[in-house]
Amino acid sequence: MAAQSEDLIHQPLRLKIMAALYAERDVDPLDFPRLKAITQATDGNLGSHLTTLEKAGYVALAKDFVGKRPRTRVALTGEGRKAFRRHVEYLREVVEGVGDDAP
Amino acid sequence: MAITPNEAAAALSEIENTTRRGMTLRGYRVAGPILMVWGLIWAVGYVAMGVLPVERWGPVWFILDFVGATVTIIMTGRGYARRATAVKAAVPAGLPWKLALGMVGTAAFVLGVVAIFPQGETAAYLALPGLVTGMIYMSIGLWSGLRYALIGLAVFAATLVGFFVFRSDLAFWMAGVGGGALFLSGLWLRKA
Repeated sequence: MAAQSEDLIHQPLRLKIMAALYAERDVDPLDFPRLKAITQATDGNLGSHLTTLEKAGYVALAKDFVGKRPRTRVALTGEGRKAFRRHVEYLREVVEGVGDDAP
Repeated sequence: MAITPNEAAAALSEIENTTRRGMTLRGYRVAGPILMVWGLIWAVGYVAMGVLPVERWGPVWFILDFVGATVTIIMTGRGYARRATAVKAAVPAGLPWKLALGMVGTAAFVLGVVAIFPQGETAAYLALPGLVTGMIYMSIGLWSGLRYALIGLAVFAATLVGFFVFRSDLAFWMAGVGGGALFLSGLWLRKA
């Protein structure tokens, strides 16, 4: 997989969202309050950035009810995982200066 | 968009911090129900100390501690195993044995201190487990999450208040306040 900068992900809160979801990628989707606690975001901010990531196809939102309470759960899509890995790889290369000596 | 090495390092650091925060909160969710179980065990044990003669305290606590240790090992193992299976990773090597040894070590420490305590001072016996438990949680909190430290502080402080203010009813104080504090702390962790 080629390292590549993902401008959409690099925004600070979106980066946190992607990191939190990537850490939980093979377990259960994260529900909204837990994602909010991990990313330390506000409701409005988190919702807005999740919408952006959903439109890009990087996250999938599932809404259901637990009893009478609505619940929103979020998970990374396959494309989201790949994009996050590409971006992390890119960040590592930048830090390590890979490619600086290329002709 | 060009990213400088400093920006990239800051982004990687933020990813690491977020991942660690997620792990801490997940640890809280595993620990919450275990703490609730210990809250109940604590309450039952101290009520027993309040109503039974001293010579029955040892057997009662032996049984309760055995039940608590077994439940702790099973619930911790399940908490890790569920995730380990999902991510195809290994359960931390020897985790159940480390937990068991930690609990046996704590029990040995308490029994050792009790053995050299002046005999006949029952309030000190009653307070010792609360102080030790509080210290253990405060220590865990320094490494694994602030909430453990706050829980330890609450148990430690509640034990001292009971010892100095409610000494004649210390067993029931420890059952209600100590056990209740652990149970409520478990609920707090579970909701993390």
